[in-house]
Amino acid sequence: MTIGLDEVLHVAKLAELAVNESEILRLVDQMNRIVNYVAKLDEVPGDRTAEPFLAGPKAVTLREDVEVIVPLARPPSAIAPEFVEGFFLVPRHGAMEDQ
Amino acid sequence: MAWETVIGLEVHVQLRTRTKMFCGNRTTFGDPPNTNVCPVCLGLPGALPVPNAEAIRLAVRGALALDCTVHETSVFARKNYFYPDLPKGYQISQFDRPLATGGSVSFDSPDRGRMQVGITRLHVEEDAGKLLHDRFRGKTAVDLNRAGTPLAEIVSEPDLRSPAEARAYLTTLRQILVYAGVSECSMEEGSLRVDANLSIRPTGTSKLGTKTEVKNMNSFANVERALEAERARQIALVEAGHRVEQVTLLFNAATGQVKPTRSKEESHDYRYFPDPDLPPLVLTPAWIAEQRATLPELPEAKRVRLEAAHALSAQDARVITAEAGLAHYFESVVEAGADPKISANWVMGEVMTTYNETGAFPVPAHRLAELIGLVRDRVVSHQAAKRVYAELAQSPDQDPQAAATRLGLVQVSDQGALAGWVDEVLAAHPGEVTRFREGETKLMAFFVGQVMKRSKGKADPKGVQPVLQERLTQPA
Amino acid sequence: MTAGTAGLRGSGAVIARETGARLTKAAPLNAVLHWSQELLDAEGARVDAMSVAGPLAAMPVALKDNIVTVEQPTTCASRILEGYLSPYNATVVDRLRAAGAMIAAKTNLDEFAMGSSTEHSAFGRVKHPLDPTRVPGGSSGGSAALVAAGVVPAALGSETGGSVRQPASFCGVVGVKPTYGRVSRYGLVAFGSSLDCVSVFGRTVDDAARVLSTISGPDPLDATTVDRPPMQVPTALPDLRGLTVGLPQEYFPADLDGGVATALRRTTEQIQALGGDARLVSLPNSVYAVPTYYIIAPAEAAANLARYDGVRYGKRRAGPDGDIRALYRTTRGEGFGEEVRRRILVGTYVLSAGYYDAYYKKAQQVRALIAEDFQQVFASGIDLLLTPTTPTPAFKAGEKTEDPVAMYLADIFVCSMSLAGLPAMNLPVGRSGGLPIGAQLVAPHFGEERMLAVAQLLERTMDSLAEVS
Repeated sequence: MTIGLDEVLHVAKLAELAVNESEILRLVDQMNRIVNYVAKLDEVPGDRTAEPFLAGPKAVTLREDVEVIVPLARPPSAIAPEFVEGFFLVPRHGAMEDQ
Repeated sequence: MAWETVIGLEVHVQLRTRTKMFCGNRTTFGDPPNTNVCPVCLGLPGALPVPNAEAIRLAVRGALALDCTVHETSVFARKNYFYPDLPKGYQISQFDRPLATGGSVSFDSPDRGRMQVGITRLHVEEDAGKLLHDRFRGKTAVDLNRAGTPLAEIVSEPDLRSPAEARAYLTTLRQILVYAGVSECSMEEGSLRVDANLSIRPTGTSKLGTKTEVKNMNSFANVERALEAERARQIALVEAGHRVEQVTLLFNAATGQVKPTRSKEESHDYRYFPDPDLPPLVLTPAWIAEQRATLPELPEAKRVRLEAAHALSAQDARVITAEAGLAHYFESVVEAGADPKISANWVMGEVMTTYNETGAFPVPAHRLAELIGLVRDRVVSHQAAKRVYAELAQSPDQDPQAAATRLGLVQVSDQGALAGWVDEVLAAHPGEVTRFREGETKLMAFFVGQVMKRSKGKADPKGVQPVLQERLTQPA
Repeated sequence: MTAGTAGLRGSGAVIARETGARLTKAAPLNAVLHWSQELLDAEGARVDAMSVAGPLAAMPVALKDNIVTVEQPTTCASRILEGYLSPYNATVVDRLRAAGAMIAAKTNLDEFAMGSSTEHSAFGRVKHPLDPTRVPGGSSGGSAALVAAGVVPAALGSETGGSVRQPASFCGVVGVKPTYGRVSRYGLVAFGSSLDCVSVFGRTVDDAARVLSTISGPDPLDATTVDRPPMQVPTALPDLRGLTVGLPQEYFPADLDGGVATALRRTTEQIQALGGDARLVSLPNSVYAVPTYYIIAPAEAAANLARYDGVRYGKRRAGPDGDIRALYRTTRGEGFGEEVRRRILVGTYVLSAGYYDAYYKKAQQVRALIAEDFQQVFASGIDLLLTPTTPTPAFKAGEKTEDPVAMYLADIFVCSMSLAGLPAMNLPVGRSGGLPIGAQLVAPHFGEERMLAVAQLLERTMDSLAEVS
């Protein structure tokens, strides 16, 4: 399978990653190398299966519905790029104006 | 051409837990922004989710109340998309292995009578935060207090055929979930939200048309309005020779219109995959059975039972069972010894009025039963009893009889006193007396009314009429 | 170094000073991203004030800078988290400190732990302590180099696909990856959540074992920890009688580096000399471990790294259009380095509509086969597996940076255990051309104690500094 430029740009959009024009061809090349390499798995017949592997416990342990206050050593305002009157701020634009 | 409307609903309800789905912050409404937050619901580097047992229990009970099959193993999955109200860049939800599938809800369709809607699935997920667009110029403000609130998403089959039917289904669904204690289901407070899918097709055909998604409806009435608007829009489009595009529309309650969202959403490629932070959710058959066994009586069963046990009309039973609280109150009044039919009238009258105004039942059920007994024993009139009820609603600790006495509302059935009021009334209305005697017997009601008025409501109306009859038939 | 002073009153303050001096001297390695004498002194004072000396009393421990700490920044060697100060401590940090350990430094790594050479750090590459032209391995290269240079007796790293064992092998130190679920990941910045394990470097097996024992055990804040008591520090074995070690043939290819092959042969002979048995076994699906890993880890990483969006924390870079999408794209596009971006793109690709089955689902199928191979081998009477940790000793800086796949193959012998969630470790067993060579021991799930006991006996009876050629 080969990945084209359009596909890389589409994936970059899904991942919200700006991609430089200068690096895009190199990226397409490397993505192809990686994808071709992992395609080695096609050698494994689809009907050769094992019990699905699960790292860790086989069933989740649930938490009691009890309020637990985790003290933050520093408040959100201390780590946020933009924080005013208790709110994180982001630019207002596009799709969000509809809502 | 005649068009058939096909509607399916996705309903999100907030599960009634103290704390969030995956962390120990409380879920209260209206706290200062970004105060009920912790590393988990802020999506800080290194934080990990741990599911809330009560959220799972409530979702399972909801699923059972909707007649779903609850799966012994279900899987949490990540739904990936970027939005400023979504701290991790993915929502923890369930995808190909949901908590429950294959349920149904019976409801009364305004168009088609008794109908069933299929429930495709019910799954648990976490809510996003809140965005405020009008608080800062040119900025969107993010409040993550709501982020991580536990939700159940209930997806219906496209079995609904009109906007009114969609509303009727929602009403029934809410009743069931409130009865089962799963959710408050308040659209005003955001604990119930509805997204609707609607398509049209020529009546008599079976192929589904292109559906659109309608969002941003804040009441059941507006769901109906929005779907009416969208149905009209689609029919107009198709009849003008256009095609329906697969879009998301927002309802504007002020204009009653639906409008496609401006942004062409990126093709919804959510890249779901099992959340590696969460092992599968495994429930034992015994535990599921226990949840089923301890479900409270649901509205439909209660309606049928009340109708049969107390000889209520179908309509009365429906009204009383519409609200879990109302039905419970009714049963308590009857249990305290009051006549069911009369109790029903009280519950649908004074009690419901107070409940709708205050959301409470201020008069204890046994007090109302006593009051109904006083009317039965002709100690107070029905009119007077309403005043006693109002008094009890203010100070519920009182004994109804004592309250009636203190308010001077105890009925007089003493013949002498009644005759005195009757004579005064007849003397004051000689014209009507003459007309009655000339055969206008329907004036009897007038005379009774006048006696009640003169007695300030204290006269026992059942005792008044014989005295009037006697006096009026005497020769002048 | 710590053994003599541990637990003595005032020893924390003294060791803090000595450690600071060694950190200063080791600066050319570029192994450390954050440390200060002031914080170290505070740690020393804190430890000295503890009423009961803990099991790690006054042991200076370095942490890979993807483990969150309140006191020091946590950057994951990424521009996107430059200056980020965590509002909470990782569970492992709390456990270390409660046991009397002193947090000495935060160490350099490949950005977000993605890499095999610690060349992909936004803050410069780490140099191999024995040869500055070579890499220390990665992604926990800073922790490995610091332990190898004798700055600290132990350090935490993290493994997703060999990121502790491989640099331990390159640097000639002990590196132990526990069973998945044995140590809490709460506060370890996630990369591939189904693979990530906080892991330990030690100058000796004992140091590593004591640290691992301290940090292991279930954590209510991590739903993937297993409800088992903490690991015990192993007791010394007199010999290896009754032990059967399996040599999986797929891990001894014909073109294996000569020095590595010789060192492994000597290790096998030593096991036999100690009374142990060695048998050839086969793990046929292990040949697919690297491609399987390079689907699963990037897929999970793409989701795990979505939270770095410039909204709530980290370094925001406004886009040219000033809207939210531009903010995301610029913050992430400029904040993440090349290798991280590459993996996010690959991970997004393999999960995207139309490709999920061909890649992600297929990789899950093969992962199950790889895990089953191990299970069958351990069920057939094999107690431990012995393999080389890496195909070659430490390579030169820049040698593999142009070819991502060549870099990935540096992890060819360590990926499969990560996929199978197994405990595994590197033990230095000799040198070739002056560079360390490591042997890898692999145990069944929760078999750490026996694995460490065997390693300890080999450590005691073999000269890990001896040239093999």
